[in-house]
Amino acid sequence: MKRFIARNAPGYIFLLPWFLGFFLLALGPILASLYLSFTRYDMVNAPRWIGLGNYEYMFMRDRRFWKALEVTFHYVVLAVPARLVMALAVAMLLDKGLRSIGLYRAIFYLPSLLGASIAIAILWRQLFDANGVVNQALASLGIQGPEWLTNPDTSLYTLVVLAMWQFGSPMLIFLAGLRGIPRDLYEAAEIDGTPRWRQFTRITLPLLAPVIFFNLVLQTIDAFKTFSSAFIISNGTGAPADSMLFYTVYLFNEAFKFFRMGYASALAWVLLIIIAIFTAAAFLTSKYWVHYENERD
Amino acid sequence: MSLDDATRLAHDLKLRRLRRERNGRLMKHAFLIGVSCIMLYPLLWLLSASLKPENEIFGNIELWPSAFQFQNYTKGWHALPESFTIFYVNSTIVTVLSVIGNLLSCSFAAYAFARLRFTGRNFFFALMMMTLMIPYHVVLIPQYVQFLQLGWVDTYLPLVVPRFLASDTFFIFLMVQFFRQLPRELDEAAMIDGCSPFKIYWAIILPLSLPAMGTAAIFSFIWVWEDFLAPLIYLNDIKSYTVPLALRLFLDQEGQSAYGQMFAMSVLSLVPVVIFFVLFQKLIVRGIATSGMK
Amino acid sequence: MADFTRRDLLRTAGAAAAALSLAHAVPARAADRAIRLFWWGNPDRDKRTFEVIRSFQESHPGIQVSGETIGWSDYWTKMATQTAGRNMPDLVQMDYRYLFEYVRRGALKPLDDHIGKSLMIGTFDKAAVDGGRVDGKLYALNIGSNSQVMVYNAKAFEAAGVKPDIYAWTYDDYARVCEAVTAKSGGRMKGSDDLSLNIDMLEAWIRQNGREFYDADGKVAATVEDAATFWQYWAGLRKAGVVRDKNKTVLVSPPLSETGIVTGEAAIGQHWSNQLVGIQALMKDPIGAAMVPFMQNGKPGQFIKPSQFLSLSRDAKDVEAAMLLLNGWVTDPKLTAILGMERGIPCSPQVRAALKPSLKPVEALSIDFFQAIQDKVAPLPPPPPKGAGEVREAFTRIGTEVVLDRTSPRQAADMFIDEAGSILERAL
Repeated sequence: MKRFIARNAPGYIFLLPWFLGFFLLALGPILASLYLSFTRYDMVNAPRWIGLGNYEYMFMRDRRFWKALEVTFHYVVLAVPARLVMALAVAMLLDKGLRSIGLYRAIFYLPSLLGASIAIAILWRQLFDANGVVNQALASLGIQGPEWLTNPDTSLYTLVVLAMWQFGSPMLIFLAGLRGIPRDLYEAAEIDGTPRWRQFTRITLPLLAPVIFFNLVLQTIDAFKTFSSAFIISNGTGAPADSMLFYTVYLFNEAFKFFRMGYASALAWVLLIIIAIFTAAAFLTSKYWVHYENERD
Repeated sequence: MSLDDATRLAHDLKLRRLRRERNGRLMKHAFLIGVSCIMLYPLLWLLSASLKPENEIFGNIELWPSAFQFQNYTKGWHALPESFTIFYVNSTIVTVLSVIGNLLSCSFAAYAFARLRFTGRNFFFALMMMTLMIPYHVVLIPQYVQFLQLGWVDTYLPLVVPRFLASDTFFIFLMVQFFRQLPRELDEAAMIDGCSPFKIYWAIILPLSLPAMGTAAIFSFIWVWEDFLAPLIYLNDIKSYTVPLALRLFLDQEGQSAYGQMFAMSVLSLVPVVIFFVLFQKLIVRGIATSGMK
Repeated sequence: MADFTRRDLLRTAGAAAAALSLAHAVPARAADRAIRLFWWGNPDRDKRTFEVIRSFQESHPGIQVSGETIGWSDYWTKMATQTAGRNMPDLVQMDYRYLFEYVRRGALKPLDDHIGKSLMIGTFDKAAVDGGRVDGKLYALNIGSNSQVMVYNAKAFEAAGVKPDIYAWTYDDYARVCEAVTAKSGGRMKGSDDLSLNIDMLEAWIRQNGREFYDADGKVAATVEDAATFWQYWAGLRKAGVVRDKNKTVLVSPPLSETGIVTGEAAIGQHWSNQLVGIQALMKDPIGAAMVPFMQNGKPGQFIKPSQFLSLSRDAKDVEAAMLLLNGWVTDPKLTAILGMERGIPCSPQVRAALKPSLKPVEALSIDFFQAIQDKVAPLPPPPPKGAGEVREAFTRIGTEVVLDRTSPRQAADMFIDEAGSILERAL
């Protein structure tokens, strides 16, 4: 017993704030939402137990649930790689000895600061209008652009563009990671005459793997939970014709517009399980491609 | 091949490399400037919208206003029942406390997860990751009920206290990834010298992780400063509103909105964030300089 | 340890944190009675309302009123959260769309017992007051009335040489006006917004067909024929090229500044009478107000609807104090003068008369319009059932497919009526 305490005490002490926060503040609401997912709950009257009713309705009868899944997966598949590649490319450009890097870095972060504000919604409508800036640029190249935002076949892409544009946070994390790679490794490689792309695959990628892994996991989770941008650009409805019906937009509307908090909770837990599967898969495969410096466990 | 030829060749090669590098740099700058223009466009648009007459904001792509409405800024500052001075003070209080809370509590937890061994580590780590995955909107109401029972509603406690208890688990995960990269020998050597785990955390891990801490500080500041859902739910008194919440008071879907003033105040609300960003990004750069990590 | 519960621990933590003066200053409690008032607004309304609170507290020193405000889009999220926590403010501003959802779930208290005692509304327009009745009980006090209005660009009408009888025009007249305006401007300004996605227009259309969208039992009474002909009418105008571009139409509820009449892309738009002031403020051309067009049978489609209410929440503790404020709000000349017509047209004739001299021209336009339509409108329809809000969204969603020409009006109508039925069934 004594040994158990001696071995574990430091860890538990450092985790104490998180333990307090998790068990006293976070866990209760999470369990409550799990419970609510088995009830009919309109937020005015007490929840009423209906067993698996919500889940049954979701899988058997709710067409919009499937639509929301489809839209969200489509987005995740497009936006996550696009944003990560963009962020990594820019971070690498900014990492190496250019002057005024600080300025560029700030500039590249700016779109992310605007987040999903009303301004972005209005700007997006102007940019992607049938006669907007984007289509004018395309027209000068001789391409006839579609009506981006109002055409259900293309509206989702405008959000992918937004995601690519707001690559600030993964970029910053990549930068911090790149800063941790010892310079002399590159110098040695340079002396050996190792070509650039080889330096990238042999030095940068392996040493950056923990950070790439972090960004991949976090960006995937975030993309599955995309809410604000879709909500604000589609005016809170997922319009046109449900083409921007993101999972969490659907969930939010079910809960707060249509008073079905129980059903929304069930939706949330299904999403949680989907995200957890993807994250677990990432963690399992990480054994093969993410190696931590000098770590032996 | 004579020695002379060899030096000339070497000289040539060097020249060529220098030229290539210079061209490369120019190309890079040209590319970066090009990208910068695209990246700056939304901000320029916002700036221009904040200075335009109301009827030019919509449907007019022209960035240059026909007349500059600087009064959007002066009027906007006082347009609401309370002046923006109060909202800025409130936002600053909440944000500064939250950033401190996040950095302290999350680095504690991250240190435990990344460097210490204890029973149940993987299990707790998985639990922590789970809190990242749950859609926020469904825990909103149980959380509200919980804070209501504590009598914390209409105070800053629900916004600040959880952050001292490592509720923003994003940062734990972020720091874990960086802490794990540091060489183990450091801890081991320190341990042999008789350093306590706390000493190792404070004197070795933290100073070596400045880029990560800088990144966390920046994100934390930005996200708390811009957060509006939690303040919306927990703050009732307009005197306690934060800046993003105040910005939501300008718009009325059905009636008269003051878009110009709202945009003017939105522009101003970015100022503290940009300042913080510029100050703290130096940490990311300085990280390697001071750590001397090889 | 055993009896040191989780809540105790949190309390202690909370007290410790509060001691660090994290909590913002608690308002000085000179008054021993306190009520909370919650509304959505805009900067102008917020200032007026806080002024009302200040004035009310001056004349009622024993009562502390805390005003809470936020924009429309966030208002309902916060309201739902507070309702779930059984922490609703005593008096809440209500909207016609949400009123029934809240009443039917039991979140509001009826006001009937207070009428004539603490709520002196005997002289008010009966029809306007009845707008707050649900299943025979008054759950919401009208604090401003409203009606649909076809706002038109008076200058464009004049230029095109059209002078429709704005209190009696038919849908055929409407189409002719659209053609004339479009032709006159060379297609730059279309005749009208495309109102295919406007469910209030559909409801008017159904009413003119002699039915209501929902019958008295809260069932869908509208027929596939109703919806199909409605969408066909607008499809016709679309085909003729006399309404606004379909890509603008499918943007759901754009801000006022992006509507056709304000941007100058259309000469007519459908709005509410309390929006006239806002619209005129954004436009150079003078505007006029017309009624919703009629069918050949002359049956009216629009009705006078409360634009905003105040309701007493189920969590109200000091009902008496709340009634004092509510009654003052609609009868006290000092307070009504501060409020003006910002929330709509007051339903007290005395208040209207008192406001009249100080009105701006466009405000006068809305009062005149309001007076003129009094005997030309339909009676208040029965209150919609639970789930009506969701039906509205389904309508927009399915209508979008029609506007984008991805489905025919008839198919869409079939789908819509079917879906409306199942939404109501699920909401029961």
